Amino acid sequence: MSLKKKKKQSQLWWRPLDNAAKIYPAARRKNWSNIYRFAVTLKEPVDESVLQSALDVTVRRFPLIAVRLRRGVFWYYLQQLSEAPKIREENSYPLVRMSRNEVRKCALRVIVYKHRIAIEMFHSITDGTGALVFLKSLLAEYLQQKHGIQIPNEQGVYDRLEEPGAEEFEDCFLKNAGSISASRKEKTAWQVYGTPEPGGFVNQTCFELPVRTVLEKAHEYGVSLTVFVCAVMMQALQNLQKERVPNRKYRKPIRVLLPVNLRPLFPSRTLRNFALYTTPEILPKLGEYSFAEICQVVKHHMGAEVTAKQMSMKIATNVNSERILFARVMPLFIKNIVMKAVYDSVGEKKSCLSLSNLGAVKLPEIMMPYVERFDVMLGLRATTPYNCGVLSFGDTLYINFVRNIKESELEYHFHCVLRDLGISAQVRSNSQDE
Amino acid sequence: MYCVNCGVKLADTEKKCPLCQTIVYHPDIVRKEEEHWYPQGKYPVEKGGSRFPLIFISVMFLISILVVLLLDWQLNQAIIWSGFVIGAVLTAYVILVLPVWFKKPNPVILAPCTFGTIGVYLLYINLASGGAWFLSFAFPVVGGIGLIVTAFIALLRYVRRGKLYIFGGTMIALGAFMLLVEFLMNYTFERSHFIGWSLYPLTILVLLGGMLIFLAINHPAREMMERKFFI
Repeated sequence: MSLKKKKKQSQLWWRPLDNAAKIYPAARRKNWSNIYRFAVTLKEPVDESVLQSALDVTVRRFPLIAVRLRRGVFWYYLQQLSEAPKIREENSYPLVRMSRNEVRKCALRVIVYKHRIAIEMFHSITDGTGALVFLKSLLAEYLQQKHGIQIPNEQGVYDRLEEPGAEEFEDCFLKNAGSISASRKEKTAWQVYGTPEPGGFVNQTCFELPVRTVLEKAHEYGVSLTVFVCAVMMQALQNLQKERVPNRKYRKPIRVLLPVNLRPLFPSRTLRNFALYTTPEILPKLGEYSFAEICQVVKHHMGAEVTAKQMSMKIATNVNSERILFARVMPLFIKNIVMKAVYDSVGEKKSCLSLSNLGAVKLPEIMMPYVERFDVMLGLRATTPYNCGVLSFGDTLYINFVRNIKESELEYHFHCVLRDLGISAQVRSNSQDE
Repeated sequence: MYCVNCGVKLADTEKKCPLCQTIVYHPDIVRKEEEHWYPQGKYPVEKGGSRFPLIFISVMFLISILVVLLLDWQLNQAIIWSGFVIGAVLTAYVILVLPVWFKKPNPVILAPCTFGTIGVYLLYINLASGGAWFLSFAFPVVGGIGLIVTAFIALLRYVRRGKLYIFGGTMIALGAFMLLVEFLMNYTFERSHFIGWSLYPLTILVLLGGMLIFLAINHPAREMMERKFFI
């Protein structure tokens, strides 16, 4: 490496991983890494050269989103990219595995296919909120360059020419950890299983529903949209388990992992990971739950759990293990072994799948005529075959299932539950022509 | 368009229902060709992992061979004891490291390679130490066990059914092989003329193997065993 290049490298921003991000590099394995995707579909084909130029501008504004993951002696850290990544072509499926080598070079992908711009990123960089800010700002820069329109910096669109603020880099977990920590003990949940897809293929199935109908139905049951969608998912899981495990006494708990954005609870402008989770559950061995019962279980669980006090207790559990001096001075490779073992034993087995609701995606009025839809896809888990991402844009709610098994029984049951509730959905998938 | 089986509304890009896999077809409706949501048949090219660890390990093996060779040459001005060490290192390399070089190592090929290497190493020891046991003992023993293991792996890999026959047959072959080992030991090293200890493993292995083959032939007996011993 030349002296000039070395000097340039040393001037790049770097930051240690935040508390939630630390587990993801350690938990990686040969055929799995924790990535997720946001996509925006435009009403016109994407101009790749303009997008590349917009990306060049945007990555300078977000030095800790356009990053690569590097190894230190004791911890991993994120380092700003010296130049914007090249735009990639789409494959037949989303969320193609990000190898260790790729994450080391660039932990962010920008992918274009016809009318669609997608970003895929390694979860250590940021959570859904940060990724959405990046995508919206990239889109604003693209539209500004392409159509010469002036887009106001509002609704999550940041000024691409201003310097990033210090509060955007803040590790809010450390700041908001409580003094009492919560127990991590939970029973193992039921797992959906099936025939693995060869070659790492990921099936994506998107349910498109009218937001107004879903909201009306949710209000009928006296719950929010997140609780309603979670209840539909749990009902579908319950029906699937009933089909696969006829004997009631052998049925395991149905538990869905709901990520919780902590920014409304602990006001913050951070663009790093700042989300935790809650896991509402039902116990089908006690008997069959009606849909109204599930709605109430989820509603009361979230009411009790999603509070600043409860969450600060959960944050404390994670932060305390990081604060132990012995753990801090342990070399990274030993930490990786321990953290991977912890992740394997308590990480995924405790819930059937993750269901992340990013809420209503809003854009400045002037951008709306150019945009068709938004999608969010959670990356697959290492050992369980399903995940689900939800968001709404305009009048439509987009529920994206991803799975790495052939059987689509859960989606079928999900559709049946919606149908029984009187909600009609349109389905779209990435299935390949035979 | 709606799925005729599960009733879900389908996007125009769908050729079959993503939920129940029913082919989308309506004789009266001509479907407009919409662009696919994702490209068709475009899969990422899987790059192989880094070869650095393998190269590093191979270099370490090579260095150990060179060091041993140099030491022996410096001390004795000839290759005396280093040949044994080098043979052992090379055999360990073939068994432990060679399979890792292949993306999908085929055990049907690797197993005879392993036994072949062991055979060559034993031949070297025999020649270097002036022994007379290779042809009458080491060669048939290594060859015999190599043959049994390779046949077992090949049958398991390429024959879909009849696992009980394969396991049973292998057990009986191993029993018979024990008999051969004792006979060759007695012949080569001029020990007792009687067959002794090998009868014990022979009896047990033939009984177990015979039982497995009996279960393979007798369906009701197999079902009864499954019923009694399921976990």
